[in-house]
Formats: sequence, structure tokens, C-alpha cells
Amino acid sequence: MKLLTANRLTDGLVLWYAGGPDLSGWTEDAALATRLEDEAAAALLEEWKARETEVVAPYLVPLVDENTLVKREYVREHVRANGPTAGQTAFDTARQHQRGEVF
Amino acid sequence: MYVYDQFDHAMVTARNAEFKDQVERRLKGELSEDQFKPLRLMNGLYLQLHAYMLRIAVPYGVLSSRQMRTFAHIARTYDRDFGHFTTRQNIQFNWIKLADTPQILEDLAAVEMHAIQTSGNCIRNTTTDQFAGAAKDEIDDPRPWAELIRQWSTFHPEFTFLPRKFKIAITGATRDRAAIRVHDIGLQLTDKGFDVYVGGGMGRTPHLGHLIKSGLSGEKLLSYLEAALRVYNRYGRRDNIYKARIKILVSALGPQEYARQVEEEWATLDQAQIDAPHAEIARIKSFFPQPAYADKAFDAAALDRTKAADAGFARWVRNNTLAHRRDDHVSVTISLKPTGLPPGDASSAQMDVMADAADRFAYGELRVSHEQNIILPHVAKADLYDLYRLLDQNGLSSANVGKITDMIACPGLDYCSLANARSIPLAQDISQRFADAELTDKIGDLQIKISGCINACGHHHVGHIGILGVDKQGEEFYQILLGGRADEQAALGVITGKGLSAEAVPAALERLIKLYLELRTDETERFIDTVGRLGRDAFAGALHEPA
Amino acid sequence: MSQLNSSHAPQLVSDQGEVRANGWTLLADDEAIGVDQAVLSFARAVNELDGLNGRYGVRIAPGDDVRLLTPFLSKIALIEVAFPGYRDGRGYSTARIVRQDLGFDGEIRAVGDVLRDQLFWMMRCGFDSFLLKDADPAGAIAYARSLYKTAYQSAADGLKPVWALRHPA
Repeated sequence: MKLLTANRLTDGLVLWYAGGPDLSGWTEDAALATRLEDEAAAALLEEWKARETEVVAPYLVPLVDENTLVKREYVREHVRANGPTAGQTAFDTARQHQRGEVF
Repeated sequence: MYVYDQFDHAMVTARNAEFKDQVERRLKGELSEDQFKPLRLMNGLYLQLHAYMLRIAVPYGVLSSRQMRTFAHIARTYDRDFGHFTTRQNIQFNWIKLADTPQILEDLAAVEMHAIQTSGNCIRNTTTDQFAGAAKDEIDDPRPWAELIRQWSTFHPEFTFLPRKFKIAITGATRDRAAIRVHDIGLQLTDKGFDVYVGGGMGRTPHLGHLIKSGLSGEKLLSYLEAALRVYNRYGRRDNIYKARIKILVSALGPQEYARQVEEEWATLDQAQIDAPHAEIARIKSFFPQPAYADKAFDAAALDRTKAADAGFARWVRNNTLAHRRDDHVSVTISLKPTGLPPGDASSAQMDVMADAADRFAYGELRVSHEQNIILPHVAKADLYDLYRLLDQNGLSSANVGKITDMIACPGLDYCSLANARSIPLAQDISQRFADAELTDKIGDLQIKISGCINACGHHHVGHIGILGVDKQGEEFYQILLGGRADEQAALGVITGKGLSAEAVPAALERLIKLYLELRTDETERFIDTVGRLGRDAFAGALHEPA
Repeated sequence: MSQLNSSHAPQLVSDQGEVRANGWTLLADDEAIGVDQAVLSFARAVNELDGLNGRYGVRIAPGDDVRLLTPFLSKIALIEVAFPGYRDGRGYSTARIVRQDLGFDGEIRAVGDVLRDQLFWMMRCGFDSFLLKDADPAGAIAYARSLYKTAYQSAADGLKPVWALRHPA
């Protein structure tokens, strides 16, 4: 199981693929990201790699199950999904979406 | 400080127009990300974990109050209300929108600032002593030379695609506060000209720079640098990013052979076309006069009485001020290392306060230090208490300069896409563990430097205690290095003991410090001296929990 | 979506913006020199130019030490400096050495991964023609020439360093 993530070209913010054919189908809230089967994820990644005027540097985040990151990716992806863990913007991303930490 | 003339303005305006066009072409899809990346990097724009990060050059760390207010404006208008001062004496904003960058660069140009060459494989911002022009132990002011290098290196057509980034540092004092031995080129001003050190650096394979030339005349500095860079550009490795810095070339050739090749290349250059003439050096020097010092009556006895009445002030004066070339002035360091906050961060409100403090008490001038603090280089002793109270009301009076909690830390995995581990939370834990002022003062001078990966932006190789974050199968571990120093007796720290988890580090440091306090001859023997006297192995055991 | 500028076939353009046909042919090392305007590899030029008559082009790869061509400069009409990737900046030093140290006054041409955003630097280092990957080569040259009117440092072009403008002789 995988998530598709990237940064939006115009503002650089982290986006998560949540279904649909265009950029409006992506969400800034990792909690709403579509859990993708591996094959579908690979195909979507190829499609979005070419859409460089919309997103930058898309890649797949592997999951152990729906809500659990693969350990190897844990810190980095936890930080991306919830905001920095320290400082002025600690868990800013999570707070903006009025939710607790995900993953 | 240096003031732009029509030529300097035209150069920045042209670059901003060029970058604006590049941004537009990128948004339209005429430039691929792969093509755009080096172009945006040449203007300091990175894509980090959460957003774009813009790194703005503070040339050799010198800043006017007006420029500081512009940083506050950028923090408020385009970012999340704070900025991060870096070990390159620059500032970074972490939440920048690509589409906003042309306007930000325009705002910066209005106060003679830019983000040119703050990234990319080019010559970066030259760094120097944060007390330049003020320190009592200064031989010659490095700032005019740094400005000369800034101009020569800006848009240098031959050196825009070097094998790797290139960093130059200059010091003009007997104490090296610019860490010149861990730079690609380190310049020491002496009364006979420049001593040139080459091939220092940190990263994966740290090296101390080698002296390759003594007594180089300032008027020949640029052509010599041009020869040194050309040899590097031609022969530096490009097949492996970890072996591309000049330190690897100098170490492979040997410093003598590298120096010989530089001399040979130097002889082929049309030096008169490269070296700025005496009149230009004199023009640049004229921008760095001593300030028009206010003759404020200073009453030493009154200052002593104030210190006796306010212990916090007394401690701040003791730790955060440095002897000035004038007896009635000092240099003040504003510590950006309050307990529990990220090292080097300042809010927009704090930036405005520091700008106000500079205007009221420091002739409008500020500096950024590579230790990630802000300096008011010239403060009349008569004004110290008023300054202290202003800073204290705004969370800027931490009295810990040079102490264990005055840590350098890179942004780490909380922001940086290259990092393997987090740095800031660890720095926060350590600062909380050692928050007690009395204990901190008892420990004395001690530099902790934390990097979240092998690239060593947090200078861990030259911390008295260096901490390097590594990733071990998805878990953050921290290796401890002991014995490094960045001063005129530069040395590289050595990994001591096994890697520790983040939770284990503060307690390990506590045991280490306890042992040091037991072992030191007396309170004048600093941690680094005790480590030097007894060897690192004497301390290795303390890093680990007794079985 | 617009088309990437770099996805266009390279066209030869001079530093004055004239788009021209390229008459030169790069020869393989075992190919007989049967054509006019033959471009030799660097190794072949160093080994064979001594015994050849006429004037040739030479292709310089990033690692080649162009000073080895010094004895044969009179037999060289064109120096092609290869940029296998635009991030490899050795060609900039090559051009300056050829133009300023060796005093070569023939054509110095940038070939390979040559994009409009590098033109300004290339012109400053002494290149005077480009096999440019761009939809509008003449426009790209005009744009590169329009950007910066002055420079902080002297190089191989006619721009005087700013210090010389500040202190006219």
C-alpha cells in the first residue's frame, strides 16, 4: 500500500494525491490521502512525473497498513505530514487541518 | 557599511529581471524542473520538505537596521513570521511561495540585498569575523576585502558551474572567529598581507586547510584567487559529489603541488585586468570607517552598582560583551539561543526590536555571526543597561554566549530534505537540560555543534562537543565527537563512543560534563583543554550509561 | 503546455544572433580526412596536426588540457568546446585559456547541452558561436546580450570591469 505525494509547483507546499484527474484532486491534508494499491500507485506516479507545471518531485510513500508508515521512512514522512516537530511551526500542518498527528 | 552605486544597483536589478523571467518560464512549462533547479538555486531558492526555502545573502554578516527591518517585513508578509539565521551568516525563510519570489527579491533590492549565489556550485557569501572593525585584537579590517571578493565573485562567468560549492572566509584578528581553516579558502590578514589556506572543509571527509601562500599582497588577491579557482574548476573531481570539493583535489595533489599549479596559472593571467586598482580598494575601504562615536560619559562605578543590583544584567555583561577597540565601548552579542527554542530563529517582532536597538544604541549596525547570533558591534558602555532592558523585554537577553547552550544547529530533518536526523529538538532538549544559569557559568566556555547529516552544516566536526545525526534503519541516532575546535588552533573532533538515541543524548552530556568538572585542574581549564590534556578516551566511558 | 525550449534541435547561432548552417563535420578517429571543414578529436589533433596542412576544427572534451594545442594553433580555425551536461563548467575555463592565454582569434563554439540561460557566461568567456537548443536562437542571443550591461570582473569579452568604469584612466 502506498501514498502518492509531491510539492505544489507554485507554493512548494506538500500535497497528497486524493483521487481525480487534476490538481484539485490533491490535498494538503495527509489524513485524506488515498491509500493506493502498488500497481495503481506506480501508474499514477508516472503520470504525475510528467505534469511538471503542477507538481514537483512526486514520489511514493510506502505504508505497512492504512495508518502506519514503513519504519525506514517514518521520521521524514511524519514531519512532512504534520509539520516540523519543533520551533515556531511545530505541528503547524496538523493544526491547520484541525487534526492530531497522523501516522 | 558598503553602499551600492549605480553599477551595483544595475547588477541586482538585471539579475532580478532575469530570475523573474525564469520563474515565469518555469510556471509556463518552458523550463523543466531539472533545468530550473540550478537557476533557482543560483538565487538561493531551495525546495525543502515543506515548501520553498529562500536563503538571502548577508554579505560577510554585515547588516543595517533598515535591512533587518526588511527581513521582519519578509517574515510577516511572505513567511510564517520568523526567519532563521545560519552558519553562513545568512538568513533563511522556510515557507516561501515560488510565485512570490520575484517580489521578495524586489523588496530586498530596495535595501541593497539579494539572494545571489547563496546556493549552487559557485562562490558563496564570503564570511568573516562578526566583530570586524570593532575587536581589540584586530590587525586589519577584513570587511573591505570581503566586499572586494563579493564583487569579483558575483556572476563570475568562469566559476558559475564549479565542481561543487566554494566558500571563502577571512579573518583580520589574532583570534580566528571565522573558522578559516575549515573553508575551501581561508584568508588570514597579517601585517604583511594575506596568508592563504586552501582545502579545508567539513562534510563527509573533513580536512583542515593548508597554508599555500604567505604575504600575498591585497592588491594581487583577486588574480591569485582567480588562479586558485581555475585550477580547481579544471581539475576538481566531477564524477562523485562527495569528492568534488577542493579539499579532495588538494589532498590528492598534495598542497605543494596544488600551490605550484596555482602559481603557474597565476603567471599566465593578465593580472592588471583582474586586480582592482589601488583607487578601487581605497574606495571600498572608505565605506568602512569607524562610526562617529558618541562621547557619552561613562561611569564605571555606576555600571558596577547596576550590576550589583541586577544579577541578570551582570551575567549578561559578563557573557555577552566583548572588549572593543575603544575603552568606552563594547561589542554586544544578542543570543538567539533562548532555552527551548530553535537556535538561530528570530520572529519578525524580534527582528524589529533588534533593528531598533541598533538605531538607538549601536549606530544602526548589526552583524550575523556564524554561531547564529546577532551582534551589535559598537555599543557605548553608558548605554548597556538601557539596551539590556530593551532586549530583556523582548526575549532577547539570554546570557549564554560561548556557553554550553549557545549551540549551533542546522535545520535538520524538521525542514531540510537532505537531513538524516533532526537537530532542533535535540538542541531544545539539551538547552532545557542545562537551563540553570549557575551551572552553565560554572561549566564555562563550551561549544556544542549539531548537524543532522554528514554535510555538516551544523559544523559538528569543529564543536568541542560535536553531534552528528545519522539514520540507522529508520531510527535517528547521534554520534558524539569530542575535541574539535574552529579557532586559530583548529582541530577536527573524533567520534567517541557508540551512537546514542535522541533520548539518551542529554543524559550522556550531563555525565560527560560532570566528569569534566571533576577532572579539570581548576575553573580556568576549559572543557576543550581538559579533553586535550587527558585525551578523548578518558571521556568515552561517561557517554554511556553505566551497565 | 508550452514546449520546453531545450527540446528543440540545436541550431548554430553566432554571438551576434545570426543563425547559420553548420558546415563543419566531426570525424571519428579512424575516419579519413576527406572533407573540408573537418573537426578532429582532441587526441587526434594533438597527434596528427603537426603533419597536416590546412586548417581544422578541434573538439575539446571537458578533461582535455587545451594548452597542448599551442604548437598547432595556426592550423586551427575552429575550437569546439563540448558541454556534455550544462552543469560541467570546465568548458568556461577552456574558452578563457584559448582566448586570453593562447591568444586564439578563430571561432570558439559551444556544443552539447547549450541552453539560453548559459549564454551570457559563455559569451563572457570568449565563445562566439553556439549550437543552441532553443526555439528562438536569435532571440535567445538578443536576450542574453540585453541582460547585463556591465560586469564586476574582466573576462574574455569587451566588457570592462566595473572598477574600470568607476576609475576611468
